[in-house]
Amino acid sequence: MINKIEKLPNDGTLASHRTVWRLFVLLALLLSGVSLAFAQTSREQAKAIHDRLTGVPATEADLIAMESRMPAQAAMYAITLGENSRHFATVTLKNFAAAWTNRDQTAFVPLNDYTTLVIGMVINQVPFNQILSIDRLYVQSGAPLPTTSSNAHFEALETRMMEPGFDPTSELVAVPQSTVYPMLPPDATAGAMTTRAASEAFFIAGTNRAMFRFTLVNHMCMDLEQVHDTSIVPDRIRQDVSRSPGADSRVFLNNCIGCHAGMDPLAQAFAYYNFNDASGAIEYTDGTVQPKYFNNNETFADGFVTPDDSWSNYWREGQNALLGWNGSLPGEGSGAKSLGQELAGTRAFAECQVTKVFNAVCLRDPVDGTDRAQVQTMTNDFIGTNYDLRQVFAESADYCTQGL
Amino acid sequence: MINAKLMPKIDSRAATLIGAFVLSLVAGCSGGSGAATQQNVAGPQSPGSGYSGPVPATPDVQQFKIHVFDNVRTDNRCGSCHGIDGVALNKFARSDDVNLAYADANLVVDLLLPSDSLMVLQMEANHNCWLSDAGACASIMETWITNWAGGIVGVGGREIVLEAPASIRSPGDSRNFPEDGGALFNQTVYPVLTAANQGDCGQCHSSGSAVMQSPFFAQGPIGDADALLTAYEAAKSKMNLEDPDESRFVHRLRDESHNCWTASCAADAQALADAIAAFAGQIQPVQVDPDLLASMALTLYEGTVASGGNRYEANVIANYEFKEGEPSLIAHDTSGVDPAMDLTLSGNVEWFGGWGLNFTGGKAQASTAASSKLRDLITATGEYSIEAWVVPGNVVQEDVRIVSYSGSPDLRNFNLGQTMYNYDFFNRNDGIAAALAANGNPQLSTPDAAEVLQATLQHVVATYDPIEGRRIYVNGVLSTMQDPTPGDTLNSWNDTYAFVLGNEVSSNEPFTGVLRLVAIHNRTLTEAQILQNFEAGVGEKFFLLFSVSHLVNVPESYVVFEASIFDSYAYLFREPFFISLDPDAQPDGIDLEGLRIGINGQEAVVGQAYANVDTIIESTLYDSATGQQIASLGTVVPLQQGPTADEFFLTFDRIGASTFSRPAPVTPPAPTPVNLPEASLIGVRTFDEINATMASVTGVSPLEPAVAVTFDQVRQSLPAVPTIEAVLASHQVAIAQLAIEYCNAVVEDIPARNAFWGGSVNWAVAPAGQPAGWETALAAPLLDRLVGSVGNQILTQPDRALIEAEMDTLVNGIPGSDPPRPGLAGTDGNVVARTSVIGKAVCSSILGGAAMLVK
Repeated sequence: MINKIEKLPNDGTLASHRTVWRLFVLLALLLSGVSLAFAQTSREQAKAIHDRLTGVPATEADLIAMESRMPAQAAMYAITLGENSRHFATVTLKNFAAAWTNRDQTAFVPLNDYTTLVIGMVINQVPFNQILSIDRLYVQSGAPLPTTSSNAHFEALETRMMEPGFDPTSELVAVPQSTVYPMLPPDATAGAMTTRAASEAFFIAGTNRAMFRFTLVNHMCMDLEQVHDTSIVPDRIRQDVSRSPGADSRVFLNNCIGCHAGMDPLAQAFAYYNFNDASGAIEYTDGTVQPKYFNNNETFADGFVTPDDSWSNYWREGQNALLGWNGSLPGEGSGAKSLGQELAGTRAFAECQVTKVFNAVCLRDPVDGTDRAQVQTMTNDFIGTNYDLRQVFAESADYCTQGL
Repeated sequence: MINAKLMPKIDSRAATLIGAFVLSLVAGCSGGSGAATQQNVAGPQSPGSGYSGPVPATPDVQQFKIHVFDNVRTDNRCGSCHGIDGVALNKFARSDDVNLAYADANLVVDLLLPSDSLMVLQMEANHNCWLSDAGACASIMETWITNWAGGIVGVGGREIVLEAPASIRSPGDSRNFPEDGGALFNQTVYPVLTAANQGDCGQCHSSGSAVMQSPFFAQGPIGDADALLTAYEAAKSKMNLEDPDESRFVHRLRDESHNCWTASCAADAQALADAIAAFAGQIQPVQVDPDLLASMALTLYEGTVASGGNRYEANVIANYEFKEGEPSLIAHDTSGVDPAMDLTLSGNVEWFGGWGLNFTGGKAQASTAASSKLRDLITATGEYSIEAWVVPGNVVQEDVRIVSYSGSPDLRNFNLGQTMYNYDFFNRNDGIAAALAANGNPQLSTPDAAEVLQATLQHVVATYDPIEGRRIYVNGVLSTMQDPTPGDTLNSWNDTYAFVLGNEVSSNEPFTGVLRLVAIHNRTLTEAQILQNFEAGVGEKFFLLFSVSHLVNVPESYVVFEASIFDSYAYLFREPFFISLDPDAQPDGIDLEGLRIGINGQEAVVGQAYANVDTIIESTLYDSATGQQIASLGTVVPLQQGPTADEFFLTFDRIGASTFSRPAPVTPPAPTPVNLPEASLIGVRTFDEINATMASVTGVSPLEPAVAVTFDQVRQSLPAVPTIEAVLASHQVAIAQLAIEYCNAVVEDIPARNAFWGGSVNWAVAPAGQPAGWETALAAPLLDRLVGSVGNQILTQPDRALIEAEMDTLVNGIPGSDPPRPGLAGTDGNVVARTSVIGKAVCSSILGGAAMLVK
């Protein structure tokens, strides 16, 4: 801090700089404690809506424009016009999705194809229930396509996004994922799950269960503990799961089985995928199960031996039927795409997306019956508007800023 | 089954069993198949080496002599009764003529299934065992006969004969231990076990006891819920709910006079039996649902024995199968190679269900005198193998001893140990520098990255020979690189060291985990032999024949599982198949769906891996010798009352023409949501939002080099989440740093400065020359954006007038204050550059304040 002031030209003595700094801190603390007792008007709500949706304070002109559109169109104004749309896409949506793309679940990661896919789908109102199955990426218009082994395209795009004048609606263009990553046939693409970023994070090494678990966390808003069910038929648990960890089978029978019995038959959908650390690219071995599915196959040799990428959903019955599976889907299939459709077809998926938006916009969890009712309303609207997540942002902002 | 086993098998190589089918199950070598080509060098060590009668007439007689005759003919074993002058009619131990002894021995052995030999069965029945443990004698006898059989059978499949259960019965009603935390136990049995004037078993069988003898079924203090639960769990396997008189507790008192508390052990036993009966009487029996399509029932020990005999053991010089179980404190060396290197258990070591020792700090150690046979027999060959079935308790323990032959933590002949995910192998050889040799350094370990050691059952073989040096095989796979230490002879081995399992001899390097079998060979096992022993598995196994003749129109039809005790808490069921013991049966078109395992009157709640089975028994797939496989999977099912009491049966959703309409799993109601604590309705901007806001307010590009560098530096120091309660002073420091950088950029860049402030501030004039209220002009463009323009105050934002007053104080100070507060303009007031400094200060104070941060 002191160094920074010292480098200012002709800035006088060090003592005076310290004075500036002390006063600055005093002022900041003072202002932080300012009472927020007031009577809200549409102007205040417009300001709050703008803050929550774009991350930046509204200009006077924006506030006037939004006031005139209250209540129905104010939020949409804040996320669709000019610099507002840039900030909504490059600040709010980017950080909405960034943490989903890595194991550390941190937003402090460079822009990547996963995050950009989310941004593109939301601002272009692509049905968001395709996020786990669509054959699509969004890339920077006019730039060379991304390569299979590098994130450089998206890092350059992130720089461009910070420039005033960047227009996300025209400068983010959709291309088939299978074109950018030719090792993936169209049927092998599965939206976010087969992006390079997700692949690098969740298909690398391991057993590919990470892809399933993080998809569950990020898109169903639940970890494996929430779907733990020991009554499920354990016939698809792979050989690498010890049935007697530390010579105590009670651990398996009471804990391990509860997750693996449902997860392993679902994660079988990823049997042909891998992230090749050497090439830096996703790998897809159509018809050949990846060797990682046979890791530690002597741990319990009588366990399930993966023959292909067919998957089955054992969670459609029992306690996990509460996730609200889509009855029009078969509950089984082959490969990641159909699994993505199965997961995204649940009520839990829709509710999760809405809840995530609620958290991002309201800056809190739904805490009471009123909040929960609002989430249900927005979930119905989300499904009813063909999974338009942008609309959910607008609805959430309108709800959360009332009475501020 | 027991009675059937006791039937003598007269030269069973030629015998045929009526009503039974021969099932070839093992494609590899039979037990000790290698013995056909390799003589056990331990042979000369056996007690019968002084034989001077006729030479063996055939190679088979020679094998008999080496492996059985020389071991049994001494007077302290079988010779006194079965010798030429003994009272027994069968003279298989006669020392005068091995050929005549051979003829008699053939009447009491089963070379195809040595465990069924009358000689073995008699040992099991405690017929003049020369050791304290009849089981150990039986194992040793079985080993000798197996080695004999290995010499004559050579390479070939071992055949297991499926035998129909002696009793074919419907699953009975069953009592199960209530899951009540021990409440009923506390009212009935626990008082008898713990009362000072009755059992007072807690004097030993409690972890608080000075002698601390497990199991802790009398754990105290009385009245403590955790202690009660510990006692209850430990006591379950000692109580027979169906027949209290047959409880282990009762046997120990009545038959073994184990610490009776009155003069009458019978009376004490009866008191405990009565308590167990009272306990069992209050448990509601579980009745089998009559709607289920259930097979007939049987217990584990009513199955056909499937284990034993498959291992390669031609050069075993020490062997531990850990069959003894409680209350033995000795684990016998059943290699049959004298001297027997029996292990004494001390400290925290418990017997493990399904054969094994569970180490939690204790050890099992042999005497140094007996251990010297390792030195003698291994230095004779110059090579050896350590073989163990191991279940490491965890993957975090370091430098612990699993199998060691040592004198102290720093002195050893060999050691197989664990360091986290690695197995370590130490071996002293004559070529290692003296400084390292004493401890067998340098160690050879499995590679860190491979993480081959897992906390699960693993077959580990460590081999050493002078050519290849050390190698470690895990689950049949070579898991080490070439030994960097050259091999050499082993003559420097010290014969005063002791063989020890689970710890160092000094008891300070404890291994946590289970050993289910340990064998020392004085030859290097080949990869094929290692694989053979790995595939042979460990522990006792049975074929359980569940009769389904009443469900399908096929005589003597069974669904057969291979079953075993998996660990202390579960059974392993694997690879079910359908078979009829009627050789003329032609099963065809039998639907079989939804197979489940029942235990004690109920379908097991967890582990039903065959519930999705959907197959048809077809004549084209059915083989009269091997049946038709139903599934290739295995599963574990929780143990309840123990292998002698747990009764199994199978159920089917569909078998043949019968169908059970199984109700769909119940979906529970959605849990009622719980209100969360009230949360703040406002929050703060996060890192990128702060950056974008500062850029948007000042008009400075975030890509401006100095700004971009600062943002990169402080990005992760800015608020990462919008939660207002999570804002820290350190966040404010980072925010200030970024704000100053933006304000520096906008002030120093003249076009930007002009665009931002317009003509409201004259930057070419020193502070002293600035008009009154110039500080308000400095603040104006920031306040217009952040709190609303003059007259358009945003009510949720800090009051504009208040901020302006603060800026006035910042710039002009407080006149007449004590101490003096001259304000920024009070210093260098006549220096033009001071105006820029003040401009940056005002700008950054507002830009980095709550008006920007809170949203």
